[in-house]
Amino acid sequence: MIWEIALREMKILKKNPIYGFCMVVFPLLTMVFFTSLLDDGLPQDLPVGVVDLDNTSTTRALTRKLDGFQNSRVVAHFQSVAEARHAMQENEIYGFLYFPKGTTSNLMSARRPKISFYYSNVSLAGGSMVMKDLKTVTTLGSAAVGMATLRAKGATDQQIQAFLQPIRIDLHQVANPWSNYNVYLSTVFVPGVMMLFMFLISAYSLGMELKFNRGKEWIEKADGHIVVAILGKYLPHAVVFLLLISFYQFYIYHVLQFPHVGGWAMIILLSVLCVFGSIGFGIFAFGLMPSLRMSMSVCSLWGVLSFSLAGSAFPAMGMDAPLQALTWLFPLRHYYMLFQITVFNGYPLIDAWFHLVALIGFTLMPWFVISKVKNAMLTYVYIP
Amino acid sequence: MSIFHKIIQALNDAAYIWRQEFKQVLRDEGVLIFCVIVPLVYPLLYSWVYNNETVREVPVVVVDMSHSHQSRQFIRMCDASPDVQVVSHAVDLDEAKSLVSRQVAKGIYYIPEDFATKLNRMEQSTISVYCDMALMLTYKAIYQTAMAVSTKMGAQMQVALAGNYTAREDVITVSPLEVEEVPMFNPQGGYGTSVLPAVLMLIIQQTLALGIGLAAGTARETNPYGDLVPAHPAYSGIYRIVGGKALCYLMVYAVMGAYLVTVVPRMFDFLQIAPWQSLLALMTPYLLACVFFGMTVSCLVRYRENVILLMVFISLPLLFMTGVSWPQSSIPGAWQGVSWLFPSTFGVRAYLRLNSMGASIGDVALELRCLWIQVAFYFGMACLVYGHQLRESRRHNLAA
Repeated sequence: MIWEIALREMKILKKNPIYGFCMVVFPLLTMVFFTSLLDDGLPQDLPVGVVDLDNTSTTRALTRKLDGFQNSRVVAHFQSVAEARHAMQENEIYGFLYFPKGTTSNLMSARRPKISFYYSNVSLAGGSMVMKDLKTVTTLGSAAVGMATLRAKGATDQQIQAFLQPIRIDLHQVANPWSNYNVYLSTVFVPGVMMLFMFLISAYSLGMELKFNRGKEWIEKADGHIVVAILGKYLPHAVVFLLLISFYQFYIYHVLQFPHVGGWAMIILLSVLCVFGSIGFGIFAFGLMPSLRMSMSVCSLWGVLSFSLAGSAFPAMGMDAPLQALTWLFPLRHYYMLFQITVFNGYPLIDAWFHLVALIGFTLMPWFVISKVKNAMLTYVYIP
Repeated sequence: MSIFHKIIQALNDAAYIWRQEFKQVLRDEGVLIFCVIVPLVYPLLYSWVYNNETVREVPVVVVDMSHSHQSRQFIRMCDASPDVQVVSHAVDLDEAKSLVSRQVAKGIYYIPEDFATKLNRMEQSTISVYCDMALMLTYKAIYQTAMAVSTKMGAQMQVALAGNYTAREDVITVSPLEVEEVPMFNPQGGYGTSVLPAVLMLIIQQTLALGIGLAAGTARETNPYGDLVPAHPAYSGIYRIVGGKALCYLMVYAVMGAYLVTVVPRMFDFLQIAPWQSLLALMTPYLLACVFFGMTVSCLVRYRENVILLMVFISLPLLFMTGVSWPQSSIPGAWQGVSWLFPSTFGVRAYLRLNSMGASIGDVALELRCLWIQVAFYFGMACLVYGHQLRESRRHNLAA
């Protein structure tokens, strides 16, 4: 019986091209979009400028050094700070380095000259990259003086290092040592977009039954067993989405070699939970408001909000307390937590039990509304 | 009929269509949700989410194997910093790791046994910092705090070792070159200040396209032949249909747009540098481009709900293509080309620079020009697709 309904559903999926687009074409496009957009991993060769009013071999050496960094490229020299600021407002550069006149001579005569660097945080990723490079190059400039002095006094290289930097910070960027933005964003946002499609398509396909008055026929085909009807209807959906998300996981973890300390078992578990939880949410949304338009509006608003409330870009701990509680209502939040604890960091599943249970809970949510769905199918009339 | 009468007639028809369209907007709850409620409520929700701008007091666990005066000083100074809070002391790295695993802490400071010994021997000593890379903001807070504290403690040691006579000499020993760091725009590095203006502008385009698409879908479904253009004498010319409908949405979004770019940032104290003249110069082409873009898209959909499926998912890619989350200079050429199709790309860029960076109209001339080109392009497209719809509708009426 389930097979018959699944067969019927497959015919529907084939007939309406929007399913093909939303279940295959658009998700694939999204995968290609994010992985190719962020392919560099880190923004490279960001344009920066230099205002060099001193123009000596020392300042030029620092400029060259800045140009040599991976994330920055010196694209312009400006005559004044005002001109450089204007270039920033025109979107030509993300930051600039300023050497006032007399920098080198003051440095040589120990009069402690002041140099400045300016950057813009309006694009946070670009701003912080440029800031890092500008800060490093100015620190190097400062250290070079100390190094020259100490060398003149006859200190060994080891002594110089110990004096200039007594405490060294040994940084371990666990699981993502390149601080690769592709690893950081594509692993959460692409499944997020897929969840959005799963929400929408689940609600849409129930709503279309109502819209075209096929609800009665569908329920009758299952002999009035709503559970069978639902299982049969969503079997093809689940298979398509499972294949799609497995393909994506294979692509990022095997082809692109994203770190996955937790191993494949966890990745598969996560994919399965993602698909079932999202379909469950979509059915639940329709059951709450058995109208195509309302349930789809709710699903789209929920899906779009989840990118913010997943807390993967801006941490949940930085939000106000009521919002932190609200994040629990978003399947993507649990997906992200489960992903980062078990797959990304490879910690034991028990430490993410809450999120595991939550995703299972989303899967079972239709249970509360199936009688309402059945009722809607048998009695409601579609109002455009 | 004189040309004067013809113009009057066309204006009358356009005004009639305008009125009909507005009536439909008010009657259709789907359109009302996307054109009125979402633009009113969503910005408030997003502003609330990002209102705290940055994370403070990121929890960190410390493994102090050194148990020395210096190691305790390091821990105290980190704890006292605004960005990091020491929540626990672990006996070894494994225990610390389990605390990170249970999400109690987001990073580990590991101070080795020989930390103080090496310092006292005038050798370079090391502190290991382990960061959970699942969150970039907490990683930055943990790492930068450790860097700042180690530099500060290092400076104190340099002064003690240098054997200078005067305070000025001490300052020169520590930093012979004074460096001033000036974050020019968005000085606190706030996440909300950075992302929110882009989100606001994007909401305008997306809700407009959704609203127009839903209204068009309803019009088709209520029409006996499934046509977009009803059989009414007022709907006799392309320009009066496109003009009349555009006027209706422009009217609604003149209010919504003003609310989004002037009221919302003020409510949450986000940056608001641009004077009203600049905002007007930007919003006029942006709203027009969005309206005509929405009208063009609306002709592509057969069922009213399909427009939701089409428009909602591209919101996130559109946000990334504006260059706010990922620098514009690093976006691959192909995607740059795709991004030129959408008004939001230029609208967001111009708005960010006018409003957050204090640029003048001249600085965003390129974006404004592109927006006007889009207005012309999408107006032409809207006329083309509506011309097609008009012919379809005439054909059906003749056949009937």
